[in-house]
Amino acid sequence: MRAGVIGLILPPTFSFLEMMWRICPALAVGCTVVVLAPPASLTPLLLAQLAGELGQFPGILNVLSGPAALALALAAQPGVQKVAFCGAIEEGRALRRLLAGTGPELGLALGTESLMLLTDAADVDSAVEGVVDAAWSDRSPGGLRLLIQESVWDEAMRRLQARMARLRVGRGLDGAVDMGARGAAARELAQRYEQEALSQGAQVFQAGDVPLDSPFFPPTLVSELPPSSPCAQAEVPWPLVLASPFRTAKEALAVANGTPRGGGASVWSERLGQALELGYGLRVGTVWINAHGLRDPAVPAGGCKESGSSWHGGLDGLYEYLRPPGTPPRRPCHSQDLNYDTFGLAVPSALPAGPETGPSPAPPYGLFVGGRFQAPGARSSRPIRDAQGNLHGYVAEGGAKDIRVAVEAAHQAAPGWVGQSPGARAALLWALAAALECREPALASRLQRHGVQPKAAQAEVELSVRRLRAWGARAQAQSHSLQVAELRGPVLRLREPLGVLAIVCPDECPLLAFVSLLAPALAHGNTVVVVPSETCPIPALEVCQDMASSLPAGLVNVVTGDRDHLTRCLALHQDVQALWYFGSAQGSQFAEWASAGNLKPVWAKGGCPQAWDQEAGGAGPELELRAARTKALWLPMGD
Amino acid sequence: MSPRNPGTELDLSWISKVQVNQPAVLRRAQQIQARRTVKKEWQAAWLLKAVTFIDLTTLSGDDTYSNIQRLCYKAKYPIRKDLLEALNMHDKGITTAAVCVYPARVCDAVKALQVASCHIPVASVATGFPAGQTHLKTRLEEIKLAVEDGAMEIDVVINRTLVLTGQWEGSDFIKTSTGKETVNATFPVAIVMLRAIRDFFWKTGNKVGFKPAGGIRSAKDSLAWLSLIKEELGDEWLKPELFRIGASALLSDIERQIYHHVTGRYAAYHDLPMC
Repeated sequence: MRAGVIGLILPPTFSFLEMMWRICPALAVGCTVVVLAPPASLTPLLLAQLAGELGQFPGILNVLSGPAALALALAAQPGVQKVAFCGAIEEGRALRRLLAGTGPELGLALGTESLMLLTDAADVDSAVEGVVDAAWSDRSPGGLRLLIQESVWDEAMRRLQARMARLRVGRGLDGAVDMGARGAAARELAQRYEQEALSQGAQVFQAGDVPLDSPFFPPTLVSELPPSSPCAQAEVPWPLVLASPFRTAKEALAVANGTPRGGGASVWSERLGQALELGYGLRVGTVWINAHGLRDPAVPAGGCKESGSSWHGGLDGLYEYLRPPGTPPRRPCHSQDLNYDTFGLAVPSALPAGPETGPSPAPPYGLFVGGRFQAPGARSSRPIRDAQGNLHGYVAEGGAKDIRVAVEAAHQAAPGWVGQSPGARAALLWALAAALECREPALASRLQRHGVQPKAAQAEVELSVRRLRAWGARAQAQSHSLQVAELRGPVLRLREPLGVLAIVCPDECPLLAFVSLLAPALAHGNTVVVVPSETCPIPALEVCQDMASSLPAGLVNVVTGDRDHLTRCLALHQDVQALWYFGSAQGSQFAEWASAGNLKPVWAKGGCPQAWDQEAGGAGPELELRAARTKALWLPMGD
Repeated sequence: MSPRNPGTELDLSWISKVQVNQPAVLRRAQQIQARRTVKKEWQAAWLLKAVTFIDLTTLSGDDTYSNIQRLCYKAKYPIRKDLLEALNMHDKGITTAAVCVYPARVCDAVKALQVASCHIPVASVATGFPAGQTHLKTRLEEIKLAVEDGAMEIDVVINRTLVLTGQWEGSDFIKTSTGKETVNATFPVAIVMLRAIRDFFWKTGNKVGFKPAGGIRSAKDSLAWLSLIKEELGDEWLKPELFRIGASALLSDIERQIYHHVTGRYAAYHDLPMC
């Protein structure tokens, strides 16, 4: 069902197409849109006027002209369910921090840089045309990072330079020009990058028929830039192309994935096997094989890593503006006085007030990291009290160091897990379900000690086992081919694992929530670091005992301790690919704020309890969507 | 004439390293036709330039002296004099690049051009045109006789049997096809051929010419061809020594476009002299 009111924030240099890509799907699924446009642009106002003339539905499209700071006011309005932004990476980061906790979900589509891999088995002339499309034309979104295999370096550079000489720059509406100008700001950015590259010792080649006056900037090819220089890591602005060599395909992947951005990339190789290997290995949102920049409304386009995780086009583009039926609308949980610097920084000490009475407790549970139980770095434990206030047991007090070790273990286990066939993953999940079934009485009794009614406890355990089985069955290699008009050849929508997923479990339904969140994450090929319920982590730790024997090491890592502190560590960690937070409202706000560091997608419910036993809340399509990321793979065919 | 192509050692590894991605070439071909549109007086100038590349051709079974003579006269005066005067181009010596006929008609063409005191070369198709499936002895004899009769250029049909079995020959010009096939000069094919010409030039320093033939009927097409050559090879190849268009009806369409540019009206069929 439709999400509600969508806020769209446009940066000072937005393109009409980008604006329409967001407004049209939102309206199409039944949402209404409020656009915050920069004061200097009139096009959105004209669009709103045209929409207003539709008569029957006034108010479906509203436009405000104002500064970006109004975004906070827009997001704080009740009823705004989602805010979408497309623009520069730093602006997106600032917006993420600004809107933390305000309620609406934030969809970011950032950055304009694309990537091209030119192998020695490529049609170099056609690849050069691809470079022109990618960086030296009015259709190009931004600059290009070009990786050329060493053996064809000279050939490629020669052809690039010859082709650049034929480019014509001039006024955009002149029919015979290739590139226009994009304003003084864009020109300055390009100029600055060029100056910096020159000062770092790079070779800069410019050519083409360019008018001398500003704001025209000639097509530019930068090479021999030392990889360690600052502008080698920065985003390449339009109309520059940064060329670097690579030796083997493996190196190409390492270099290509070695930037924080992950928008669109093209692979040029006539060897099908190599092209597909590179295409699947690139961590980007869209891959074109022997083409660049192809677009179609039926194909999702988006990114990963710091290019944001919002999509336009295709199914994913529509899901942006929908929410599953039965889920309540999002509510703000913003608290003005949340101190981001001190939230979760210190761990409150959990020393017992007085001497402990009662039977001597079992030895403390360790952290379950890397496939076995280990002592926490701080070498301390916290007591867990049951519903009557008696001591139930001790669990480890995890800290920053433990989170670091857990994330490392998860990354180590990731390639193996991703490489497993879906059938193997399903088998492992079923094995875990079977082990849990054997443990049903023990788990139920643990839950009862925490005040859950016996029948409810039994039901919770049974449902957990069923959910594990169900998600195991749904672990399939998901890719299906899309229909694209005007293209001969398939376009595949692949679903790939996110990587390392951090999950902070809620306090309600300690076992069921744990399993309901864990299972889809694993089924889709992710490895996880989980912080179980703070008040009742013991059922989760019992499950870990089964995981130690049935799952590969490092696949699931469970760290207990102070939830706020651990959330802080996970949210600030640059190498966690996504965070699912089901704790307090303040924690949600912090998680959203801190995710701006590496722009990881955060799923936080603002402290509202979920109905884990309902299908919609506990096993619904939202889990499926959020547990993996999409990649569009274009394969034009022809001989 | 351009210097002859001295040729190189046949290096098949060079050919096997060539990769061509068809969808990408098709996309480029579509793009070429859309960009670089020329208008107004620049279009007129480009059209006159295009005229100088035409190999005015007649290859019919019923060619005789009378239509050859008309063709040669048209080759000398491709555009009506008053139109050229209006453009101030009447004294630039604008003629077509050559006249292209069957071997048996070379004599007639040479005579007609002498009578018209025109110095453009006569090109002859030869070697069992258009199929090329005749004995080597007769094919060589054809070429010899055509040259004896006064032909300065020969359009040779290569033996496709040899091609399909991998045995290659060298040349000064490469032509897209005989013009008598079902599909003749298309942009994707041309793009690949032009890239090959450019690669050969970069490797050996020798310039090989290019001639698309067959299916080029409209002035708009000819402009697209000119801009393709300009984009892929550069201005050096925009000379009759390195670029020819094999056509017959094209000239009338160009003349009609020029008529429209000069007078602002569309010409009737009978307003302009036929070729």
